Amino acid sequence: MKALGAWIEDRLGLGPVAAFLAKKEVPCHRHTILYYTGSSILLFLGIQIVTGVLLALYYQPTLAEANASVVRIMTEMPLGWLVRSVHSWSATFMIALVFAHLLGIAFTKAYRKPREATWLTGVLLLGSSLAFGFTGYLLPWDELSLAATKVGTNLPKALPVIGTWLTQVMRAGDDVTGDTITRFFIVHVSVLPLALLAILGVHIFLVQRHGMSAPLEAERDKIKLPWLPFWPNFLLREAGVWFVLLGVLLTVAVFLAPGVGPQADLMAPAPEGIKPEWYFLFMFQTLKLFPARILGLNGELIAMLVMMAGMAAVLFLPFIDDRPFERKGKVITGLAWAGLAYAIGMSIWSLM
Amino acid sequence: MKLPASLYSRRAFLNGLIGGWLAALGSAFISPLLKYIVPPTPEPDQVTVPFADYKDMAPHTVKGFAWGNKPGLLQRTEAGEYVAFVGVCTHLDCNVSFVAEQRRFYCACHEGWYDENGLNVAGPPPSPLRRLSVSVEGDTLIVKRQG
Ligand code: HEM
Ligand code: FES
Repeated sequence: MKALGAWIEDRLGLGPVAAFLAKKEVPCHRHTILYYTGSSILLFLGIQIVTGVLLALYYQPTLAEANASVVRIMTEMPLGWLVRSVHSWSATFMIALVFAHLLGIAFTKAYRKPREATWLTGVLLLGSSLAFGFTGYLLPWDELSLAATKVGTNLPKALPVIGTWLTQVMRAGDDVTGDTITRFFIVHVSVLPLALLAILGVHIFLVQRHGMSAPLEAERDKIKLPWLPFWPNFLLREAGVWFVLLGVLLTVAVFLAPGVGPQADLMAPAPEGIKPEWYFLFMFQTLKLFPARILGLNGELIAMLVMMAGMAAVLFLPFIDDRPFERKGKVITGLAWAGLAYAIGMSIWSLM
Repeated sequence: MKLPASLYSRRAFLNGLIGGWLAALGSAFISPLLKYIVPPTPEPDQVTVPFADYKDMAPHTVKGFAWGNKPGLLQRTEAGEYVAFVGVCTHLDCNVSFVAEQRRFYCACHEGWYDENGLNVAGPPPSPLRRLSVSVEGDTLIVKRQG
């Protein structure tokens, strides 16, 4: 065993990494719970990869087969309904945790110097996760997923110059067709996983490089907080959290398995009550409220620009609020709460 | 004044040269790729359907046909003539339906309404439904792009 370890060490030279992990410390304070959101996202990402590969064993990304193959996974494959249910629920859990992770960081101002790049990669990870959800939603190819995808891919059209082209790239042409399914599938199972894992690698590297951020007061007064060794104490706690989450995930997945609607028909009218996945509801409702024309301008374009400005503000938050770490940030905290309240309020409204 | 050494070093020059060359090469490869990812999906210039299928429509009713990848809606008017629309909402592209009792077109996505003539009358749609021109030749109905 020792000899094997030495052999590997000679070839890989990972000693410094192991030494780093062995003496990594996790500060303990009232926000320590936020540290668990990141590792829990990793848990659900792992589950997405495993269940996603399992689904892809039988899923067929074509116009004729997409819906039927999902039905087949659900009815004929042993435990296929559960694999699909776990994939669908774990997507929800993962995205909810990504939101919680980002909000927590916004509240505690952990994005400030020197962690701006960590925040940027984090927002990109949020974008990738949402893109996973958007492309995955089309794959079962039922009435709802067709209508939601038509609307979603039509949005860029409002943008000048590149809008129409962007829509064509997403749809594989002017309309949502069988080629769109194939395209969404490839993006969902190949392009996005590669992109997400690459960004995640940078993100995790940066987190280790800068260490965990501590609460503002501790930084300001240079207090040395009590801490736990990462290995094994903190990791054991994280494992405990994972077990609980896994239990909750399996329970909801077993009792609330998603169904699949009738196969999408390109010629049929849109069904009543279309709605996107829950994490897009607030944008959906926002769009609904914008009138066709505002002061003679295209309302849809204005809605798009407002939403893009919001996204840019989130992405560049560390540069908008670039004050020293120990300054309080009441305005940003207030805005984060307001944003959260807006998103929740609009989502609930869209369901009424 | 003569400088003892050039401000622009040989290394900076070479970096710029190689970098510029790589950028040019990259864009030369990227532009055909960008072309490749959008397949040509031209809209049909015209579509023909058997007239027999539409001959017995009552006035103020609507029947569908395939306008390429989009639904087409053929409507019979009071006078017994035919008009056709592309059955796609001008708001965000959902397929619309004809609500016969109200003689209006309805889009379920964001509750958009069009009157019988395809004019947007309520909800978010910014413009009327697109019209197609219809003619009957013998036992075929020919639907063409307008204009
Ligand atoms: C962040 C990671 C991921 C998220 C958030 C995600 C999300 C989703 C969603 C929301 C659906 C639709 C579920 C439904 O209603 O049926 C879906 C379907 C699917 N996903 Fe993923 N996914 C992720 C990763 C993956 C990976 C890594 C793979 C495979 C390599 C994969 C393969 C599939 C397949 C084959 C389907 C279609 C089957 C079905 O709809 O039931 N997914 N995904
Ligand atoms: S797509 Fe028809 S009203 Fe929005």
